[in-house]
Amino acid sequence: MASEEWSDDAESEEVPLQHKRPFGSGLKRKRVVFVPASSGNLNSTEESKPSESSGPSKSVSDIYLSIVMPKGAEETCTDEANAPAPDICDICKLPVNAASDAADAGKPSSRPHQASIAHQVCIAHSHPPSALDRSRMGLAVLEAQGWDPDARNGLGALNQGISFPIKAKPKNNTVGIGVEVPKDVATRKKEKPQMLNAKKVRKMASDDKRRQEKLRHQFYGNPEVEKYLGLS
Amino acid sequence: MADERSSKVSKLERKRSRSPVDTNSSTKRAKVEKTEDSDDDDKKAIEHNPYLSHWNDGSNGFSEGKLPVGSALKHFKRRQTTAKQASKAEDGDNNPFTGEPHSEQYFTILKARRNLPVHKQRQEFLDSYQKSQILVFVGETGSGKTTQIPQYVVYDELPHLNHKMVACTQPRRVAAMSVAQRVADELDVNIGEEVGYSIRFEDKTSSKTILKYMTDGMLLREAMHDHTLSRYSCIILDEAHERTLATDILMALLKGITQRRPDLKLIVMSATLDAQKFQRYFFDAPLLVVPGRTHPVEIFYTPEPEKDYVEGAIRTVLQIHAGEAEGDILLFLTGEEEIEDTCRKISLEVDELIRETDCGPMNVCPLYGTLPPHQQQRIFDPPPAPFKKGGRPGRKCIISTNIAETSLTIDGIVYVVDPGFSKQKIYNPRLRVESLLVSAISKASAQQRAGRAGRTKPGKCFRLYTEKAFKEELIEQTYPEILRSNLANTVLELKKLGVKDLVHFDLMDPPAPETMMRALEELNYLACLDDEGELTQLGSLASEFPLDPALAVMLISSPEFYCSNEILSLTALLSVPQIFLRPAQKRREADEMKNLFKHNDGDHLTMLNVYHAFKGILGRGEDGKKWCHQHYLSFRHLSSADNVRAQLKRIMETHGLDLVSTDFSDRDYYTNIRRALVAGFFMQVAKRENNKIYRTLKDNNSAVMLHPSTVLGADYDWVIYNEFVLTSKQYVRTVTGIRPEWLLELAPQYYDLESWEGQKDVKQALKAVADKMRRRAAMKAGR
Repeated sequence: MASEEWSDDAESEEVPLQHKRPFGSGLKRKRVVFVPASSGNLNSTEESKPSESSGPSKSVSDIYLSIVMPKGAEETCTDEANAPAPDICDICKLPVNAASDAADAGKPSSRPHQASIAHQVCIAHSHPPSALDRSRMGLAVLEAQGWDPDARNGLGALNQGISFPIKAKPKNNTVGIGVEVPKDVATRKKEKPQMLNAKKVRKMASDDKRRQEKLRHQFYGNPEVEKYLGLS
Repeated sequence: MADERSSKVSKLERKRSRSPVDTNSSTKRAKVEKTEDSDDDDKKAIEHNPYLSHWNDGSNGFSEGKLPVGSALKHFKRRQTTAKQASKAEDGDNNPFTGEPHSEQYFTILKARRNLPVHKQRQEFLDSYQKSQILVFVGETGSGKTTQIPQYVVYDELPHLNHKMVACTQPRRVAAMSVAQRVADELDVNIGEEVGYSIRFEDKTSSKTILKYMTDGMLLREAMHDHTLSRYSCIILDEAHERTLATDILMALLKGITQRRPDLKLIVMSATLDAQKFQRYFFDAPLLVVPGRTHPVEIFYTPEPEKDYVEGAIRTVLQIHAGEAEGDILLFLTGEEEIEDTCRKISLEVDELIRETDCGPMNVCPLYGTLPPHQQQRIFDPPPAPFKKGGRPGRKCIISTNIAETSLTIDGIVYVVDPGFSKQKIYNPRLRVESLLVSAISKASAQQRAGRAGRTKPGKCFRLYTEKAFKEELIEQTYPEILRSNLANTVLELKKLGVKDLVHFDLMDPPAPETMMRALEELNYLACLDDEGELTQLGSLASEFPLDPALAVMLISSPEFYCSNEILSLTALLSVPQIFLRPAQKRREADEMKNLFKHNDGDHLTMLNVYHAFKGILGRGEDGKKWCHQHYLSFRHLSSADNVRAQLKRIMETHGLDLVSTDFSDRDYYTNIRRALVAGFFMQVAKRENNKIYRTLKDNNSAVMLHPSTVLGADYDWVIYNEFVLTSKQYVRTVTGIRPEWLLELAPQYYDLESWEGQKDVKQALKAVADKMRRRAAMKAGR
């Protein structure tokens, strides 16, 4: 483990230790600022247990809801919903005539419920087959044991397993969590210097010229600007 | 004290051996069982009989269900005891299990034990335990669950009466060992007798053992031969929240076994509150919560994301040292190098701080897995005293990997600095590479880390990220190991455990299908599984070794190459951490010393040279430790390799594998070893592309360089490697040169040119080799 990266050693070992300034001397004067957590502190099991059980009912949103929407109102709401007793579509769990009701009451709906987007989305549809190589021995074994690669199921007693392996990306720096590294920094670095010959240089020069011309035209070619500048 | 006891024991033994041989065994035994808790008159009949030791597989020293004379446990009814009864038995003058008088130390420890948070709930625990077959137990670190619960179970289960043991699993070997030692002290018995432990390559149990601490992997290995774990009456899975690979498999297995064996009890212990998941998984088992002895922890975030978390961590530590009240600091970092580096920087900075202000002294201690044990012990030292009387207090700063997160209990920590990263193993089944990567921790992990600050008094946790990042960027739970590992070994174990249906095996978190497929294929190439996925004879044999399948296959096939002695040594060397040391200040000297052992054909052979030299030194009776120090080798790892070798040798002998060597003067001595290496590692081959760049073959088609530590001198176009290292560059480490002919010869299935896809140049090269081989064979035949 210690020998992880020892291709580039040498440079740090030249200055004798007693003459070396300690790392980042004066670092400490630049304070790291901290703010206390807004959502309370960590308590022991005992203390956090009651709060957890009463957590959902006492949350701010619930209190707000109880003020804005008193219990009575809720009940009447459901009563209203129950009154017309619309037939609920089996597939999308939506009332069949709801869409038409909303759009234009009275008239027969212009299109059947089955054509509505909500319904279409909910219809069970087949997915494209999995991209796994069918000749693999591992796949054959799993198939023999009842796993269907195209069913988009995982492994496990209830097929509840994850369907794809966990991805990881290597991190080779000490950038902290939440820092957004601008993407273009990385891409710009990768650009390689190009060799130019006379022809290319000439082309670039003329390109530049043309662009300048275009810009000038854009700025000054406008009749209003010209009017303002007193050119016309 | 110990001497006295041992002399008594030996006297007893002598008495026993003089006792008349009992011929009518079965009737006597039956009689004993009927009267076991009533009288002492039958003592003669139940005296030890050497010819009957097979009666309980030698698994229990109270061979005929005998308790010591006058034991306090005599009137106990199994699974009906109460906490009161047990306490009374514990208070007795004599040890209820051995009959020996209690030592003084025992009573001091007993007093401390009675103060642990779990003790208050002993009766509550027994009630739930007796009522239900499966119990989920939640207790934070420091509640005493790991040491106490198994003892409570022993007092209730009375394992000596029914010839069954109580097992408690631990994810880590060190924990299993140290906890077993502690519990042996608490019960006032010798370690290895009534209380023992069993870890990979070390078994410290005897026929007397009633309580056994073991790694989860060991219990899994036992289950391979004993599918219902019939030796145990209660199994305790400790630290289940860590979700190690072995614990996950054990949970799935035990879920099935408990259905088949109603007499088997199972306790799942977890340190975190997400126990509902365990409950749901185990048929809504009852849950028992014991609060830890913890204090509130104030949590702080940075208002802005930290640009450089290492620098931020250093500054935070200094800030705490300069401005906060007494209390030790725990800083979490990712790896050995980072930790050692930061230790140095903080020490220098603190020196400067002390010169400028009136700060107290600070001890900086690193802590990581590969640190030698005596240095690990430093974290338990008390903090340094202030410079002068009445001066600012001294402080201890522990810089640790995430092993301090759950497994180690360090008292005195008041401040936790958490940059939010840890090193995690991730396996990519498409590339077939397992790598340790630095990645952001989970919320659960962050909470666990913060909790470490509240062990002794109210503490503070400084998180080097924003509260927003905590809520939005961190995942809820760390992925269990089973989702992040290569499953080749696991699948082999499952097959050996008799699991037929891998698809519907009831794991808590089943792995991705691709990972499972890859494991099956790897085992198929190694000929451990046939094309239908059934265990072959080789596979069955390979599963007997506590090794990776590739290593096991290499070891098993080594007699065919006349070098099983050498491959055995190499296997042992590859199963321990790096034996070459390279201290930062003495790199040149260390490299020179390494060159002494250099073998031009590769690192494996160099390691073998080291081992042979090491054995030579020991054989001559010289000081191995000194020799290792002089040669920049790790004495600890070499000795443990030696130990591993002995264990593996025993397994080889029991399975009739010959231990042979080619004559050292033979031209083929090293060639044979290299060929044997290919027999196991043919899936880890790299071919040279140009001067320094190699390319690994097949699925893992990536450009790599040989790790700078390699000694490979001769020019080899083809190398096998032991490890794929993913850092800023991709390296292969521990490499040995091979000939391509061997690949075609020893792994024709894997290097089947008919079905070869991609990597045209490799195919062409192999084809040329194949043609050459054919021509040569034809010439030979023609002659």
